[in-house]
Amino acid sequence: MTAIILDGIVLGLQFGLLAAGLTLVYGLGGVLNLAFGEMAVITAMVVLFAMEAGVPAAPAVGLGLVAGGLLGLVFDLTILRPVYRRKHEARVLLSLLLTLGVAFMVEGLLNWRYPLKALSLQIGGGAIEILGVPMRRGSLLASAITLVALGGLFLFFRSTALGRAIRSVIEDEEGAQLVGIDPHLMLRLILILSGVLAALVAVTRSMVTPVNVKAGFGITVFALIVTVVGGLGTVSGAFLAGVILGVVSSIAASYIGTFLSLVILLMAAALTILIRPSGLLGVRE
Amino acid sequence: MSSRLTRATGTSLIGVAERRSSRSLLAMLAPIALVAAALALVPLWLGGSRVMMGVALLGLAFAGYAIGFNLIFGSTGQLFLCVGALAGVAGYGGAILADRGGLPILVSILLATLAAGLVGGLLSWIAVRRSLGVIFTGIITLIFSLTFENLLFGLGQLTGGEAGFQISSGAGTFLRELTPGYYLMLALVVLFLVVHGLLRRSHIGWGFRALRDDGVAAELTGVNVARYRVYAALIGAAMLGLAGATYAFTRGRISPTTFGFTQVDVVVLVMLAFGGIGSLLGPILGAVTFTAINEVLIGFGELRLLAYGALIIILFLWIPRGVIPTLGGLWRRRPSSSVDPPDDTPAPARREPG
Repeated sequence: MTAIILDGIVLGLQFGLLAAGLTLVYGLGGVLNLAFGEMAVITAMVVLFAMEAGVPAAPAVGLGLVAGGLLGLVFDLTILRPVYRRKHEARVLLSLLLTLGVAFMVEGLLNWRYPLKALSLQIGGGAIEILGVPMRRGSLLASAITLVALGGLFLFFRSTALGRAIRSVIEDEEGAQLVGIDPHLMLRLILILSGVLAALVAVTRSMVTPVNVKAGFGITVFALIVTVVGGLGTVSGAFLAGVILGVVSSIAASYIGTFLSLVILLMAAALTILIRPSGLLGVRE
Repeated sequence: MSSRLTRATGTSLIGVAERRSSRSLLAMLAPIALVAAALALVPLWLGGSRVMMGVALLGLAFAGYAIGFNLIFGSTGQLFLCVGALAGVAGYGGAILADRGGLPILVSILLATLAAGLVGGLLSWIAVRRSLGVIFTGIITLIFSLTFENLLFGLGQLTGGEAGFQISSGAGTFLRELTPGYYLMLALVVLFLVVHGLLRRSHIGWGFRALRDDGVAAELTGVNVARYRVYAALIGAAMLGLAGATYAFTRGRISPTTFGFTQVDVVVLVMLAFGGIGSLLGPILGAVTFTAINEVLIGFGELRLLAYGALIIILFLWIPRGVIPTLGGLWRRRPSSSVDPPDDTPAPARREPG
C-alpha cells in the first residue's frame, strides 16, 4: 500500500507541474492554452536533437528550457494577439480554438517529419529505498526537480515584487493597473514562465516514460483537468489536485487495471468540478 | 446571479448566420429538397467504386453529426465536446444490444438513439443546473468523451477493445450494401434537416435564438433558458446517436477510433465553422467540402492534421461566420443592404478596444 501511494505521489507531482503552467496563464489572462502539451513536445524534441548533436544532457536540458521560454514569448506575440482583443468568455473560447489549431498544426508537422522520435532521459543507478519501498532513481529525480520548481514558484509569488505584481493582476486586473502594473507585460512574463514549465514537464516526464511526438494531446488534457480541479490561477491548488488525482489513479490502477483507473480519475475530476466549480483552492467569483 | 450574467453573455463568438425565418414553409423545404436531390445523385456517379461509396457514406454520417452538433452548439451555445462519444454510445449500444442481446436491429437502433439522447440531455441538465459556462460545459463533456473512450478499452470483452467490434447482426442484408446504406443515411440527414428547420420556425426556435443572442436578456423576458438548452441537447444528441448507430450497422465494424475525439469532434467543429455555425444548411456544405478535401489530402497522411489546424485558425480568426454565409453576405449586401441590416452586421466580430 505504501508503494502504491508513493507511486501516486510521484504521478501526482507530475500532474501538478503540468497544471501549474496552464493555470497561471488562465488565471492571469483568461487564456486557455490547448497547445501546452505541444509546447512540451517541441522542447522535448529540442533537447533530443541537442543530445543527438553531441551536447551533454545538462546543457541540452538548459537549451530546452530556453526554447520553452521562447515558445511562450512567440505565442504571446503571435497567436494570442487577436485573443487579447476580446473579453471574458469570448476570449477564453477564441484562445481555446486558436491554440487547438496550433496544437494540430504542430502535431501534424512533428508526426509527419519525425514520427518515431522520442525523448527518454536515462537516469542510471539502482533503486533507492524510501519507507521500505524501492523507488526508481528517474522517478525520484523527476519528483525532486518538481518539488524544487514548486518551491521556486511559491517563493517567487510570495516574496518577490514581480511575483506579487503578477498575483495582484490575477486578483484584480483593473486595480493592479491603477497602481501602475502593466497587465500585458505580466501576461507576457507568465507566458514565458509557462513555456519554461512546459519544458520542465517534458524533461521530468522523460525521466519516467519516453516523451514521443504523440504525447502532446494527453499532456494538454491532463493539464486541463488538473487545472480545473485545482482551481484556476492557483499553483498550490494545481499541486494539491495533482497529488490527490495521482494517488486516486495509482490506487485504482493497482486494483482494477489501467483503463478503468483512468475512468475513475476522470469521474473524480468531473465530480469535483460539479461540486466545487471554482476548484479545490479556487476563489468563488 | 452576477457570475451567471458574465457567463451567459460570452457566447457572442457563435455565428449569427441564421436568417430571419419569416418565410413560408416552402422556402425552408425547397433548399433541403435541392440538397437531398443533389446528394441522391452521388451513387450514380460513384456507384462503381466500393471505396468511394464508403467515403460518401462516412461523409453523410458526418453531415448528420454536424447537424446534431449545430443544434446543440450553434442554436443554444452549449459547447459539447463529446460528439463522437454520443454517437459512439449509440453505435456501440446498438451493436451490443443486437449482437449480445439478440434484439432486432431496428429496436436496437431506436433504444441506442434514446440512450444517446438521454445522455446528452443529462449532460446539458447538469451544465444548466450548475450554471456552467461555455468553457466548463466544454471541459465536462470532454471528460465524458475521455471516459467513454477509456471504457471502450477497459471493457474489452464487451466492446472488443482496440481491435474493434465486428457486428454480425444485419450481415448479408441490404444494410451492408453500400448504396442502400447510403440512401438510408441520406434519408436520416434529410430528416434531421427538416426537424432542425421546423424547430427553428417554431416557438422553440425563437427561444433558441433569443438565448443564443443574449442569454440574460432572454431569461429576463421570460424565456426558459434552462429548458430550451436541455431540449436542444436531447434532440441534438438523439440525432448524433441515430447517425452513429445507423453508421455502425451499415459498416458492420466499429472501433474506438470510429468515434474518437480527434477523428470526429475536431472534424465536425471544422465542418461547422466552415459551413457557418447556426445556419441550417451549413453542416451539409461543410461535410461535403471536407469529405472531398479529406479525400484529396489522403496521400499526405499526418499533414492532414496540419491542414486542419491551419483551417481552424483561419476560420475562427478571419471568417467566424463561416465561409458560405460570409460569401452569401457579400453577395446579398450589394443589391439590398437596407432590407435586413441587423442580420448583416453580426455580433461575432464585435471587438472591444484594449
